[in-house]
Amino acid sequence: MTIGKILDPTGIRNDDITSPGPDAGSLHGKVIGIRLDEIWRAWDWVSEYWAAEFEKAGATVKFWRSNQGRTGEEGERIAKQLDEFIQSIDIAIVGLGNCGSCTGWTIRDALACANAGLPTTAVCTEVFEQLGKQLSAHGGRSGLRIHILPYPLNEKEIDDVLPVAKDHLQGMLATMGVTEQMENIA
Amino acid sequence: MNIRRSIPPYKPSPEKSIELRDCGDAACDIEWLSSLQHETDTDDVMKFTQFALDQGWGDGLPLIPPTELRVREFLNANNRFADEIICHLPPSNSACTVEKIAINAVMAGAPAESLPLIIASLEGMADPNFELFGLNATTAPVVPLTLVNGPIRNELNIPYKHGCLGGHASMSVAIGRAIRLIIRNVGGQLAGVTSETTFGTPGRVGGIMFGEWEEESPWAPFAERRGIEGNAVSVYGTMGTQNILDTTSNRPFDFLEMMGKSLAYIGCNGFSPAMPYAEMMIAINPVHAKILHKAIPKFEDIQEILWRHASQDATYLTEKHREQLEAQNRVINGKVFVTVEPKDFLVICCGGTGGLHSTGFHSFGSCITQTRKILPGPNQA
Repeated sequence: MTIGKILDPTGIRNDDITSPGPDAGSLHGKVIGIRLDEIWRAWDWVSEYWAAEFEKAGATVKFWRSNQGRTGEEGERIAKQLDEFIQSIDIAIVGLGNCGSCTGWTIRDALACANAGLPTTAVCTEVFEQLGKQLSAHGGRSGLRIHILPYPLNEKEIDDVLPVAKDHLQGMLATMGVTEQMENIA
Repeated sequence: MNIRRSIPPYKPSPEKSIELRDCGDAACDIEWLSSLQHETDTDDVMKFTQFALDQGWGDGLPLIPPTELRVREFLNANNRFADEIICHLPPSNSACTVEKIAINAVMAGAPAESLPLIIASLEGMADPNFELFGLNATTAPVVPLTLVNGPIRNELNIPYKHGCLGGHASMSVAIGRAIRLIIRNVGGQLAGVTSETTFGTPGRVGGIMFGEWEEESPWAPFAERRGIEGNAVSVYGTMGTQNILDTTSNRPFDFLEMMGKSLAYIGCNGFSPAMPYAEMMIAINPVHAKILHKAIPKFEDIQEILWRHASQDATYLTEKHREQLEAQNRVINGKVFVTVEPKDFLVICCGGTGGLHSTGFHSFGSCITQTRKILPGPNQA
């Protein structure tokens, strides 16, 4: 046996922002941007329920629907839309991480929002929680706020999904850092 | 969404020039290598393999200890600067330097002469239009396929005849494995951690690296059709291989009908509402390729015929599936198509002379195939 030295084959990223970023604070008068996607109808239902509650608290809700075609001319179009979306909102909610690649894009878009200084919360289902956290860390923001919804979700009908949205509203508000008006919502 | 989203025509990237710095034997003895060093058994491959697995570096197959001497020898054969950053690989977004490539290539057992091929492959994969970010994270069993064109196929013994997709003894397995180790160790793709791949694929161990049988193909080499002559590599995000057997047809149009219809199964990503577009690669053996070319000399016609047959009646889809595709305006005259346009059929020629079989490579979806010229190092010019 010869003990010798070998070279490490891994790449290491050293930079990291562990802060969750700014709190959403009061919702009153704010524009809350919710990023939807083309795949998960359950996320549409959850978002619509939450949006109604946010509006009761005095916020305006703006939806933006992304897709997984993030390459070529389509990718350029979506990237431009994302930039415009970020410019037009005060608070970002980005979902839904409910598969591997869509969790990837959810986190990537959430990082773009967070890096623009927006109070940002990504939303994943529980099976994809660890992937979301890993990708946040790899993206240089291990502190990114991520709210976790139960899994499976998209396999359910709307009557089963809306109670989930209701049950998770307070938790979502806590993750977002909404402190002033939680008792006034829902 | 009320527009059909098509893939723009491929444009080759501007040729990259490399800085030819000759470190020479003496200069290479200076402290060029910046990687952390670990003490371990460097003689016993199995002990090192276990050590590497414990560190999270391995794929389960035996690994060659990447000692400084071995890595320096690998680099000396190429004269590329160790600190040169080739690309950044997701999901870690770490800098992939020549040094990291060399270390992983040594571990995989890849020959030093393969470095330019590995570099060109990684450059293609790292192009944002290849969407390696999504490919590495997805639940899908997708892996970048690496198609090699040019004389380098023979220089590196990249298979393109019988058994080219697996079973032919060649260094392409080690070269492909080197790329896979780089994706794992530098890119950070780990199943169950940063990759949610539900099943994975054997191709994620040794890669899928093969060449076109250019000498027997009736068509121009794939890379040449995309504007790059000579040594080149194309990377394509494939969901694996799908065999298509045809012992019945004896007319060219029948062959194409059999191929196209076989590719159109409703669970493929080309029919997925999650993927707004997809390419479709099909490998046709030289026997069938010559029959097709003789009857249908215009290559675009072959693509068109395949495209028309690689479709399904929308009524064959499940209700919700059909509704989503209809909402995306992807039902055309009652039919849905694996690719948006005929040009997205990527037809190549390889495989043995026994004929009878074609191989479909279904696409992950939005990863757009990338082709790169393989630039020789100064010792290989």
